[in-house]
Amino acid sequence: MEVDSIPQQPQEKTAQIDSADFVVGIFADLGQDGVKMLCEGLRSLHGSPRIVVLQRDPVGGAGAANLQSVQEESSLSFLPWSAAGPDPLGAPTQSISIACQSLFALTEKLGARACCFVASEMESATPQWVCELLQPFVESDFDLAAPYYTARMFQGLLNNSIVYPLTRCLYGKRIHNPFGPDVGVSRRLAQKVLSANRNNNGGSSQTHPLALLATVAACENLQICQVHVGARVYPPTDWTNMSSLIAQVMGPIFLEMERCAACWQRTRGSVIVPARGERQPLSEETGTLDLNRMDETFRLGVRDLQEIWSLVLPPATLFELRKLSRSAPEQVHMPDELWARIVYDFALAHRLRTINRDHLLRSMTPLYLAWVVSYAREIVAAGAASVEQRIERLALAYEAAKPYLISRWRWPDRFNP
Amino acid sequence: MWDQVKQALNQSTTKFLTELAHLLPGVVALIVALLISFVLAWILAIVVRRLLTGIHFDERLSHWGFASLSEWSPMHSPTRLVSRTVACIVILSGFLIGVAAFDAESTSLLVRSVFAYVPNIVGAILVLLVGSIVASFLARSVLIGGVNLNLHYARLLSLGVKWLVLVLSVAMALEHLKIAPGIVDLAFGILFGGIVLTLVLAVGLNSRELVTKSLERDTKESSGEHVEEPFRHV
Repeated sequence: MEVDSIPQQPQEKTAQIDSADFVVGIFADLGQDGVKMLCEGLRSLHGSPRIVVLQRDPVGGAGAANLQSVQEESSLSFLPWSAAGPDPLGAPTQSISIACQSLFALTEKLGARACCFVASEMESATPQWVCELLQPFVESDFDLAAPYYTARMFQGLLNNSIVYPLTRCLYGKRIHNPFGPDVGVSRRLAQKVLSANRNNNGGSSQTHPLALLATVAACENLQICQVHVGARVYPPTDWTNMSSLIAQVMGPIFLEMERCAACWQRTRGSVIVPARGERQPLSEETGTLDLNRMDETFRLGVRDLQEIWSLVLPPATLFELRKLSRSAPEQVHMPDELWARIVYDFALAHRLRTINRDHLLRSMTPLYLAWVVSYAREIVAAGAASVEQRIERLALAYEAAKPYLISRWRWPDRFNP
Repeated sequence: MWDQVKQALNQSTTKFLTELAHLLPGVVALIVALLISFVLAWILAIVVRRLLTGIHFDERLSHWGFASLSEWSPMHSPTRLVSRTVACIVILSGFLIGVAAFDAESTSLLVRSVFAYVPNIVGAILVLLVGSIVASFLARSVLIGGVNLNLHYARLLSLGVKWLVLVLSVAMALEHLKIAPGIVDLAFGILFGGIVLTLVLAVGLNSRELVTKSLERDTKESSGEHVEEPFRHV
């Protein structure tokens, strides 16, 4: 997004602000107390840097007016963030994308050292947690500070099952939450992401800026770190919208795979990315597990979506899935190798446009739910402490299956097991 | 009397042979035109097939979102469909040229009416093509959406939608071809209404369980029995 595309109101105010050290975009609805707490944290940053805070204001300016006392601080300037308003089409990832791009554009315009995107609420928010994301840019020359949320048994499942292991396997960096959404980004990385998106405009579709961060940073050998920010509050699951969610998350990942094919085909293995801050202890989650619905959707998928899956998956995988659907509900176990290959096959079909891309991504939902069922049964049996080991095992399976992906990617017609 | 019979026979034979001789060049021209058109069609079909194979037409077509076209192409290859269509058009043109060579008023009238009908045929083919693509697309959307919503009658819904669109496009194509418009209208109304009624009954009967479950859930929630499930995906 060009600087010109920053919405009118902020543009008028940014004319008064000619430079800043950091830009913080508060996309999450933190409430007045939350914002005040965050500002307290920002004031405590070493060296009193000049910080511009972009704040989404759903109540039409009232929130900004209430923050008058905070605005008087010389090191903090507030700007309303109309680009981050609610999306009329109800696509949250779309509005996050627009907000991110305007944040990066403002960072570039003000010549700030880095920016920070705050999109979540934390279970136990402290004034420091956003500062933790900015600290790597104050103290050293990092380009990306990715969040390292405290792992929960049944939270961030899409990240744990696909986003993290796939990004780690492809780009060789163990970034636990490569999509953030709470991230610290240097001006250099923000510029690279904006320019990658500008270049993509000539193509069929624009990639989500959050999906670009980790891949651009990894492929360009930029400095990456992770920050322990605590446990994130995840939005409740909307089961009627599950397939849209999968399509919105998977689409950008697969597009990035296509764009960075040369980079990830060269990468072998993966390295640990340094993590800062204190790790919070794991806690047991409460709630009633109802796996029947997901299990039923998977069985229904095996029964009705065969004709679609047969265009995407090789016969051996289809056979495994049929076998899985015939097993008793309490015995459904999707092997990690099978799941990794399924994800790779869908990535390839997305690249080849075997079927309409939206259909393809949505048809993945029953398979993903089968993985969730299998994972939930294992974790319940093994306990909360085993979550990280379980995810590590899955990530290793992705890495082990990478030669399969490379072969299919290079010779899609010849290599079809 | 025998002489008169002989004369009449001679006259009719002469007349028949004269007319045959008059027609013979036309017949020969028709055969020659057909032979040439067959050869030309064969050569053109090969050229078109090689050309389209060279530019990976089948793959490109699926990239452009017309993957469903291969479903009803010969040997699942749109390249073959295009090359055979080109061949058929050349043969048809050869036939019409040959027929026109008779130089009779009736044949030129036939040729003129055939040519006047060509736009209708092209229009009907286009309507069928678009209808088929839309039907497949919608059927797939409904099937995937239904399965993801855990609807056990997702396949039935998808088939219903597919046939609704197909019946509509066939009726529109027949309307274009001006074939028995009255009967087509009536048949379309009956078929369309029948499919909708079948779908409504099937979905309605299948939904009883769904509605019962939904009501049970509402009752539980209103009585404070609501339990939050722990899964969070993004």
